[in-house]
Amino acid sequence: MTKEPVDVCIIGSGAGGAPMALELGRAGFKVVVLEKGAHYQPKDFIHDEILNSRRNFFMPLPWEEPHLVRQGAAGRYERTNSAWTANCVGGGTVHMSGYFYRLKPVDFRLRSTLGAVKGSTLADWPISYEELAPFYDVAEAELGVSGEAVPHPFAEPRKGPYPLPPLDVHPIARELDRVCGDMGWHSLPTARGIISRPYRGRAGCAYCALCGSYGCEMGAKSGTNANLIPAALATGNVELRPRCMARSVEVDKEGRARSVVYLDADGVEQEQPAKVVVVSCTAVESARLLLNSVSNRFPRGLANGSGLVGKNLIFSSFGESRATFRVSKQSAARPWLTDPAPFVNRSVQDFYLMPDERFGFRKGGTLGFMWTHPNPIFAAVGLAGSGKNGVFGKALKDRMREYRDSRILQFEVYGEFLPTPGTYVTVEPGVKDKYGLPVAGITMDRHPMDFAATRFLVERGEEILMRLDPDELKRVGIAGETTILQHGTCRFGNDPATSVLNKECRAHEVPNLYVVDGSFMPTAGSVPSTLTIVANSFRVARGLVQRMKRNEVRPSPSGRGPG
Amino acid sequence: MDRRSFLQRLSFFGGGVVLLGGAACKRGPSSEPPAPANTQAAAANDASPRTFTRAEYAVVAAASERILPRDEDPGAKDADVPAYIDRMLQSPELEQMRQDFMQGVAALERRSQRMFQVGFAQATPAQQDELLGLFKDSPAGSGEAHFFELLMVLTLEGFLGDPSYGGNKERVGWKLVGFDTVGTVASAPPEGHDGMKCLKTCGRHP
Repeated sequence: MTKEPVDVCIIGSGAGGAPMALELGRAGFKVVVLEKGAHYQPKDFIHDEILNSRRNFFMPLPWEEPHLVRQGAAGRYERTNSAWTANCVGGGTVHMSGYFYRLKPVDFRLRSTLGAVKGSTLADWPISYEELAPFYDVAEAELGVSGEAVPHPFAEPRKGPYPLPPLDVHPIARELDRVCGDMGWHSLPTARGIISRPYRGRAGCAYCALCGSYGCEMGAKSGTNANLIPAALATGNVELRPRCMARSVEVDKEGRARSVVYLDADGVEQEQPAKVVVVSCTAVESARLLLNSVSNRFPRGLANGSGLVGKNLIFSSFGESRATFRVSKQSAARPWLTDPAPFVNRSVQDFYLMPDERFGFRKGGTLGFMWTHPNPIFAAVGLAGSGKNGVFGKALKDRMREYRDSRILQFEVYGEFLPTPGTYVTVEPGVKDKYGLPVAGITMDRHPMDFAATRFLVERGEEILMRLDPDELKRVGIAGETTILQHGTCRFGNDPATSVLNKECRAHEVPNLYVVDGSFMPTAGSVPSTLTIVANSFRVARGLVQRMKRNEVRPSPSGRGPG
Repeated sequence: MDRRSFLQRLSFFGGGVVLLGGAACKRGPSSEPPAPANTQAAAANDASPRTFTRAEYAVVAAASERILPRDEDPGAKDADVPAYIDRMLQSPELEQMRQDFMQGVAALERRSQRMFQVGFAQATPAQQDELLGLFKDSPAGSGEAHFFELLMVLTLEGFLGDPSYGGNKERVGWKLVGFDTVGTVASAPPEGHDGMKCLKTCGRHP
């Protein structure tokens, strides 16, 4: 059935959707937020690894709602749950670790900085760091970010200190500071989307061991479920509808977005008319929704006259190594090794941009240091290995006992993921999810420069770890990608021939359609992008509020058009 | 890069949200939805297995005990891992996995009869290890390798998961890996937490 029309219908309640809901609600506009997942309350966030990390509490099961992934267009699709983020109110910000870096000025001008890169569809952003910076300030204040800005060669300019002081860290952080200093590198405190003190009615972090991949029952983690969504609902202008799966965005005769058709919590089809539609379901799922929204006016998918929706998909390049310290061997030299403090919170960004191409790349990235996650099942599955290298029986138990005697320090690489013509999202009509909707197919074709950069960064990280004198150093990977960090499928730009959205993140072809998750980003920087998505969404929201107040957004025609 | 390493890129979470990894489902993109739940499962009192017959249960118990044998520390049976597997495979969402696992149990039993002329549960530990090793080293994608992967994952879940699921009895698994020293205070689920019930209520995304 058709619902009462509203001013704005937002699809998704995570990093992109929530700031829009808050700002539009504050400005007095009537907003409906559709969220496919459940609205978990703090009491639902239980430290139960099976529930949180191994079933569909956050992520859909791959046989109910698969993503198809293949390596190259000639590859065979595999059904996976890769490239999903949490399906619940707050989206991926609920189970994130909350590494809240900003992009740097170079990230907005990467094409100009590097020149043409063969095999990559690299593009500059249509806005500068300076244009986004005020909204980073807003995002950090609204979300609650703990950190300490220190000078270093690639430090991005910022107006003032973080809203909250840094979280307490484990003593190993001081050793990292020392060895990095010895090498002339900079060990930087990592800003976190976790509040170190009570803030705006929320309790400070309790320093439990389980953070990333869990919801925070304290509300200390700065997911939109803990701050922006409650604030949006408090305006009285925002209605949140959880367990509602958007099926398509419908258009009127003039090709303007008219309504969102969705399946409600009971699986009943509903239609929500709105003057403006905001899509924010993650870059893969937003592309899927637009590509599934076909009409006479847009036979190749909504806002896809250019054929660019779903193209230029980028994740984040990933590498990892681990240093193991045996407690029994090291306890004399490092009696503090077993200190339960969960955070290391150190980053190295000395290789964010290289002065020349002597190592086969120029755009590098970030090393983030942390203790390995304490999830015991996850750890043990790793210890068991697989195939011919796998072990069981006494060998496995010995490894588990060794693990008990270990503290394992790791770093993660966040590296540039260059856009290529061969990495993109399509919809695959032959495979449907449990809602009966064609699923997203992801085709991957990585740029070789990414691997050169990631290898270089992993080697630098290993130099640091080796200087800490561990009992063992293990390289986990140098050629991966972090698929929960998604961008690029509706890139923004000034030219409708080469971009889907304009600089306001409004579709070139549909004047009342916005996309505000990571889809807009032509490049993703070399840091996790969550804070950037939130900041940009505040920027877009401000523009939309002004536009609506100037009455530039016409009311949608009532009644149903031919679509 | 193979599918497994792709899946594991999710480790960015730190917690490895990989669900049951690639092991969970062997069906290809075009396959049919799973068949309805097994109706022949014993539905007697709580002491009886629900997914397995008594004979199958003995095979599962013997196999999980070879994955994590009792030595100076408790093993799979001490942690009630077989009861966990029996209970977990009752989840409607895991119906396909249950079918795959049952086929694997039958295959293990057949191979034991053929190789050693006794059932798997009656074979010696050395014979059981030999057979499990064959399954483990079977080509990736084979039914044998798939079953071994399921057996490993379910055994580790039962050994190291929250005790409310029926395994990890007296937290013996957590003690073995030292998890209780990391997470006892802040990380323990609240009093009265029931994992299986929670999977049904909070874990659903209708």
